[in-house]
Amino acid sequence: MSLKKKKSLDFEVNLIPFIDLLSTCICFLLLTAVWVNVASMNVKQAVGGQAAEAGTKKPTMWVAMAPNGDLTLDVKDARVPAKLAKFSIPGTQGKPNLELLGQAVSQLKSSEPALNTALIQPTAASVYEDIIGLMDGFKKSGVTDLGVSPL
Amino acid sequence: MGIVNQGVIKTSAIGSVIGESSILAPKSERHKREVHAELLLTALIDAFSILVIFLLMSFSSAGDLIVVGKGIELPKAAMGDQLDRQPVVKVEGGKLFVEDKQVQEANLVQALLDLRKKFQETRPGEEFPGIITIQGDRRLKYEQLNSIVLASSQAGFSDIKFAVISSN
Repeated sequence: MSLKKKKSLDFEVNLIPFIDLLSTCICFLLLTAVWVNVASMNVKQAVGGQAAEAGTKKPTMWVAMAPNGDLTLDVKDARVPAKLAKFSIPGTQGKPNLELLGQAVSQLKSSEPALNTALIQPTAASVYEDIIGLMDGFKKSGVTDLGVSPL
Repeated sequence: MGIVNQGVIKTSAIGSVIGESSILAPKSERHKREVHAELLLTALIDAFSILVIFLLMSFSSAGDLIVVGKGIELPKAAMGDQLDRQPVVKVEGGKLFVEDKQVQEANLVQALLDLRKKFQETRPGEEFPGIITIQGDRRLKYEQLNSIVLASSQAGFSDIKFAVISSN
C-alpha cells in the first residue's frame, strides 16, 4: 500500500457559463419568436387556370356553394360511377358539411385517382371562412389543385 | 464561510451583505450556526435546456411576413402552405389596401398594374411571378373579395394566396 497521499479525483464543472449561455439563448428566442403562425391557401383563378390548360382535359370537380351551406359537386372528364358524377351534399347549420364532403371525395378519388382539381364556385353571400374551410377539406382529401371562380 | 468553500457554490455563492459583521450579532458574541444553502444548479440548467429546445422547435426563420390588420381575424386552416413575401391586398373595415396604401375599388386594377410595373423595373429580365396575397376577415362575404379576385386576374396576378392562421 502506497504511503503517498492520494490526489482527489473529484472535480467541479463551472456551471455559470452554461447558465449565461442558456439565458442568452432563451432571451434571443423569446424576442424573435413568431407566435401567430400565418400560412397561405394557394389557389388559381378558375377562369384563367382553365384557359392556360385548354389543351389538356384533367378530371375536374366543380363545387357550387349555396347560401344555406349545400354543396353541389359536378365531376367532369373523369371515369366515375353515374351516381357520383353529380350529387349534392346538404349543409349543416348554414355551413358546408366537411365530414360528408371528405367521405364523398374519398369515394371519388378511389374511382378516379387522377382527380386532383377542384374549382369552387361561391355565391355573393358565401362566407370567406367557409370557402377556406372547403379548400382545407379538399386538401385534406388529397385534392391539391384548387381554384375559386369569380362571381 | 462554510458554504462558500463547499462544492459548486464556491463559484456562485450568494453571500450576505451583512455577512459576519452584523452589529446585531457580532462575531465574537454570537453562537455561530452553519447554514448549508447549496443551489441546485443542475435542475436550473435542465429547465433552461427544455425551454431552449421548445423555443428552437417553434422558431420560424421566415419571421413576420405580413402584419395582420387590427380588425382582421384570419380564417384557420390545417393544410396551409408556407407564406412567402408577396404583394398584399387587404380588406379592413370595408376598405381596400394595397401594400398598406388605401385604394378605391375602381382604382384597384391600376394599383396592381403599378405593382407589376414596379417589379419589372426593379428586376429586369426576371419572370413576373404573378402571385398576390389576400388578407381578409374570416366573416367577410365573398362579394367583398370578388373585386380583388377579378382585379388580380385583370392585372396578371393569376396565383392567389389567401392568408390563413395555421391550425396545426
